[in-house]
Amino acid sequence: MEYQSLREIEMYPVRDLSYDFLGIHFENPFILAAAPSTDNLDMVRRAFEMGWAGAILKTTSVEGTRVDLTYPMMSTFDHEGRKLFGMGNIDLISEHHIDTVEYNVRMLKKEFPEKMVAASIMAGRKEDWQSLVERLENAGADLIECSFSCPQGNIGEDPGKMLAQSVSATELTARWVRDAATKIPVSIKITPHVTDIVEIARAVKRSGCHALTASNSIQALMGIDIRSFAPYPSLGGKSTYSGMTGPAIKPITLRTIAEIARNVDIPILGTGGASTWSDAVEFMAVGAGVVEFCTVVMHYGFRVIDDLKSGMSHYLDEMKFSSPVAIVGKALPNIVMHDDLPRRTVRSHINEKLCIACDLCYVACRDGGHMAIDQQSSKVPYVDRERCVGCGLCQHVCPVDGCIEMRVAV
Amino acid sequence: MQCFDAPCTAACPTHIDVPKFISMIKSNNVIGAAEVVKTSNALANTCGKICPEEVFCQSVCTRGKQDSPIWIRELHFFATQYEKDNGFSATKVFPKSKKTVAVVGAGPAGLGCAFELAKLGHRVDVYDGRIPGGVPRNSIPSFRLAVRELESDTKFLSGFFKLKAQAVDKKGFEQIRTSHGATFLAVGLGQDRMLGIPGEKLKGVIPVLKFLEKAKANSTSMKIGKRVVVVGGGNVSLDAAATAKRLGAESVTLIYRRSEKEMRVWRSELEEARKQGVEIRFLVNPLSIVGKTNVEGIKCRRTRLSKRKDRSGRPIPVEVKGSNFVVEADSVVIAIGQTIEAEWLGSVERPKGGYVKVGKDFQTSVPGVFAGGDMIAGEGTIVQSVAHGKYAAHAIHEYLTAM
Ligand SMILES: Cc1cc2nc3c(=O)[nH]c(=O)nc-3n(C[C@H](O)[C@H](O)[C@H](O)COP(=O)(O)OP(=O)(O)OC[C@H]3O[C@@H](n4cnc5c(N)ncnc54)[C@H](O)[C@@H]3O)c2cc1C
Ligand SMILES: Cc1cc2nc3c(=O)[nH]c(=O)nc-3n(C[C@H](O)[C@H](O)[C@H](O)COP(=O)(O)O)c2cc1C
Ligand code: SF4
Ligand code: SF4
Repeated sequence: MEYQSLREIEMYPVRDLSYDFLGIHFENPFILAAAPSTDNLDMVRRAFEMGWAGAILKTTSVEGTRVDLTYPMMSTFDHEGRKLFGMGNIDLISEHHIDTVEYNVRMLKKEFPEKMVAASIMAGRKEDWQSLVERLENAGADLIECSFSCPQGNIGEDPGKMLAQSVSATELTARWVRDAATKIPVSIKITPHVTDIVEIARAVKRSGCHALTASNSIQALMGIDIRSFAPYPSLGGKSTYSGMTGPAIKPITLRTIAEIARNVDIPILGTGGASTWSDAVEFMAVGAGVVEFCTVVMHYGFRVIDDLKSGMSHYLDEMKFSSPVAIVGKALPNIVMHDDLPRRTVRSHINEKLCIACDLCYVACRDGGHMAIDQQSSKVPYVDRERCVGCGLCQHVCPVDGCIEMRVAV
Repeated sequence: MQCFDAPCTAACPTHIDVPKFISMIKSNNVIGAAEVVKTSNALANTCGKICPEEVFCQSVCTRGKQDSPIWIRELHFFATQYEKDNGFSATKVFPKSKKTVAVVGAGPAGLGCAFELAKLGHRVDVYDGRIPGGVPRNSIPSFRLAVRELESDTKFLSGFFKLKAQAVDKKGFEQIRTSHGATFLAVGLGQDRMLGIPGEKLKGVIPVLKFLEKAKANSTSMKIGKRVVVVGGGNVSLDAAATAKRLGAESVTLIYRRSEKEMRVWRSELEEARKQGVEIRFLVNPLSIVGKTNVEGIKCRRTRLSKRKDRSGRPIPVEVKGSNFVVEADSVVIAIGQTIEAEWLGSVERPKGGYVKVGKDFQTSVPGVFAGGDMIAGEGTIVQSVAHGKYAAHAIHEYLTAM
């Protein structure tokens, strides 16, 4: 017996994080987004065993669809020494066609009946969309997600164009799918790359589809090698636009979800930039019912579920929320239009006890604010309350948490 | 970094999942991080404060290959302190077996074992004649580990077993052994080793554990004299020297018979002693302690290192003839090691009268009697002792279940 390699005995009670959403039971709000992590049966099995509540299998299509991948497909947006602030991919849909995905759904539902197993689909013609839906329903999927938003474009559209960039195409295609779905809910995965996200959401709502997944990756050019002028990811010096995901896109997604939730009454699956339990709380606070994860898993592995669950449990305890459902929409009443914002006089206050006299606030205000901070050699800088307009820049460049405060002037 | 299959976790004797708890700190789930630490290491706050990370987790940190290692112990400490300050997380209800286990000694090994046994569902009686905490409570100087810091662990743990305020003797041992399903011995090394040179009976000659215990118990009233000599060369002697300085001694001299290279000490301890102004004299061997009734000095002889090595692989020092000298002193602290203080162990096998012999399952030569901590391994560390206790608990569980 190797005592050293024994598994630890759990000493803390496991908090119940389960709830129902779209008529489906979720063990917790954390599911895997349609991506490489869900393209392989063994990988999804492993994720389920580790505690993920569900998975959306990577987007599939009807047999015979050509999926012309090319490699390498990944690149990253690193920032100030941190890897993977954003991640870019030039991936396409799965090379596995519906026959394989049907099999995977069947196996997973058999082995893990308590998990949410969904599949993502993409097609061109009406018959194909509808047959994909029927086959997945019969295979026992809990939910179908329709990718209207692959950054490399939808099948059958103009090159690089996404279905979800056209209100009419979205509504028409969503209706086809809705008509075929007789047993399970359908969610349309949309892109934030539109003039008016609310118009698209309304189109989905009109189609009768049950939910929206907001939102897919951001089309991006990940970078250029400044000596060879090859864009990233470089495939022999050539490249194309990537779909960017990961922490960098979180604020964009938050806005997208919030804007839909504020205007259209439709359940939302959140995706795009969530890495931690607190990101998930934010997604839910602006209206997401569950949260999908992809890049963080590709970076650190399925094991991130431990912190997602633990962090969410402690958060719910702290907030005295009985269930994650209590978070959904909590921030929405606080999002208003600019005209409706309170108008008060605020001024910057530096906490002398916390200030480390780096003078970053000074230089930021001098060259990017209102020249309201005076430098006092190696001492705490001084805010001139006459010149300070209260923009808040200094507060955000200060490296010390809580050192600069914006106080309402009386 | 979030290394996979992380070397720090392997290097920590209690195998704390280091990447996991650090990722939780990063996500601001500090309570979760503390729970991860405590799940593996019952003396979480104590180890967070004084675990010699330089020989464990941090010494193998992958990040060190890039620039500098992550300050793992500091992060561990941050998390467990946060949990302590915000109220301990409630534990789950553990299963209940009908088996009872006696743990003798409430030091790190005993506490580690008792808590793990409680998690496994067994009823545990912990015997100790003193307040729980062992050496960390009684001897490790307050400036490194205050009593209240240790108590944040023992207070949490004491809810999981019955404490019996009883120092075990021969009769007690027999009685305890027969009235419990199994027994875990963890009495540590309570006996100071002496030099066996003339003058050790003089007033002012103090064995190190007694010295440190007294200093920790009543540091303000303790008198130590102006000039203190500490004989030793390990961590304990450095603690003693630094303590003497803090008690107000004007000069503190540590004498060690080999050179600095052979000293088996942690950098942090050596730095602390030097910072306190302790003078360390290498290559010096004590011959006798001189004085009438009180200590007046210690007679020494210089040594040089020979080519021959001892069992520890270090060169054996030999005395240099005609190099005698006397170091004047008001007190002499003897810190050359500790041995087991337990006449009552009876038939529990101790090769050459030394440490207790155990198998891979921590079982001694007496069936049903297990042992761990310093009494099986010699002077060790807190985390190592906790680990012994924890893994022994699983062996005991197996033993009880097989019965
Ligand atoms: C001065 C000093 C400084 C140290 N500094 C550090 C450090 O910074 N970091 C670190 O990791 N390690 C340090 N160590 C080592 C560490 O303290 C020990 O390795 C550890 O305490 C051993 O734990 P243990 O449970 O085996 O025994 P102990 O801690 O010795 O505990 C034994 C317990 O058994 C009890 N006991 C003894 N006899 C009986 C009996 N007959 N009946 C009932 N109970 C009995 C004692 O009262 C005591 O509570 C230090 C040691 C010393 C001496
Ligand atoms: C390599 C890669 C492949 C992806 N493939 C698909 C796909 O086939 N279908 C789809 O709907 N989304 C796909 N996505 C998008 C993800 O499902 C997810 O919505 C997106 O990565 C944003 O979430 P994140 O920031 O958590 O990664 C892919 C993402 C990546 C990184
Ligand atoms: S991540 Fe795996 S599959 Fe991708 S290039 Fe590296 S080794 Fe190959
Ligand atoms: S107990 Fe010690 S070795 Fe283990 S992680 Fe903490 S500091 Fe490192």
